[in-house]
Amino acid sequence: MLSRIKNQSGFVFVEFAIALPLIILLVYGLANVGIKIFELGRNQLADYVLEEEAHYLMERITHQARAAKGIEAINALNKVKIFYRTSDEGNTALTIDDVRETQWFITHQKKGSSARNLYAKRQDDGVYLNPITGDNSFGETTLVNLKFSELNENVLHITLELKSLVTDRTIKLSTAVYMSSCEEKSGLPHE
Amino acid sequence: MKKIFSDQRGFALLNVILLTMITSFAAMILLNAVPRAKNPQSTLRLTALYVANEQFAQLESMAAAGELNVGSYSFQGLDKDLTTENAGAPITFKVTTQVTDGGGNLRKVSVKVSWTFNAQNFELASERMMRVVEPN
Repeated sequence: MLSRIKNQSGFVFVEFAIALPLIILLVYGLANVGIKIFELGRNQLADYVLEEEAHYLMERITHQARAAKGIEAINALNKVKIFYRTSDEGNTALTIDDVRETQWFITHQKKGSSARNLYAKRQDDGVYLNPITGDNSFGETTLVNLKFSELNENVLHITLELKSLVTDRTIKLSTAVYMSSCEEKSGLPHE
Repeated sequence: MKKIFSDQRGFALLNVILLTMITSFAAMILLNAVPRAKNPQSTLRLTALYVANEQFAQLESMAAAGELNVGSYSFQGLDKDLTTENAGAPITFKVTTQVTDGGGNLRKVSVKVSWTFNAQNFELASERMMRVVEPN
């Protein structure tokens, strides 16, 4: 056994001195490439979330605005109030306020969070319980801008800007919706 | 010459194993990256969809005012909405609209939004029926 070990030759110091930096360089390079690729995967998930949330917000707002009886936008605070009437308007026993149903879309930033999320609320006051963006484990988003204006008679123009806090990428969507039965409008600048 | 070769030794099994491990690790990483190449087409399609909806909204408003006639229309929305930077570089959409008779008060509205990305042309086509309200 001992003679077998004696016959074997190990690395000489020079070999080791050359091999070690080469291995370090190789491992460093591979680790870098690996990290970049996993980052790419993470960024793509975050971008997907960004796109999906922007899509959902636009669909939800345009869907609700289409049936609006009235709209009240406060562009400086990125919020909007859409209201409908849910009962028979000809019923003299009820006032308009009795049958009015409201839908708020309000920007709110939770304490300790760097993200501004959009909340859907049914009441004018009360707590923020219903965020419709953010808190996604694949990537946090923040609302940069939500603006409303009027293009033509009863044509609501909406601009939404949402940013991913993972990739810093911003998506900006603009659209318009025709509100056929809208009778009351306020806070809508004319384009 | 023969002497030179006879002095040389081949790779040891350990060398081969290590090399295979490193190569397969590198291949795994690179193969993992291939399907993850960035493609902003879905974002552009989404942006184009909302540009088309903007045009539909304007035409609906015209139909409600009894002003939607058969023919072709240019983009009726805001010109600034035709350019997007959602894909990184600015991309401009081109919107064409054709209104045809749908029978009675109905109009068939076809909106096509087209754009060019990486020297390739793309198009999003959508249609809607609209009822033209007759003025009182």
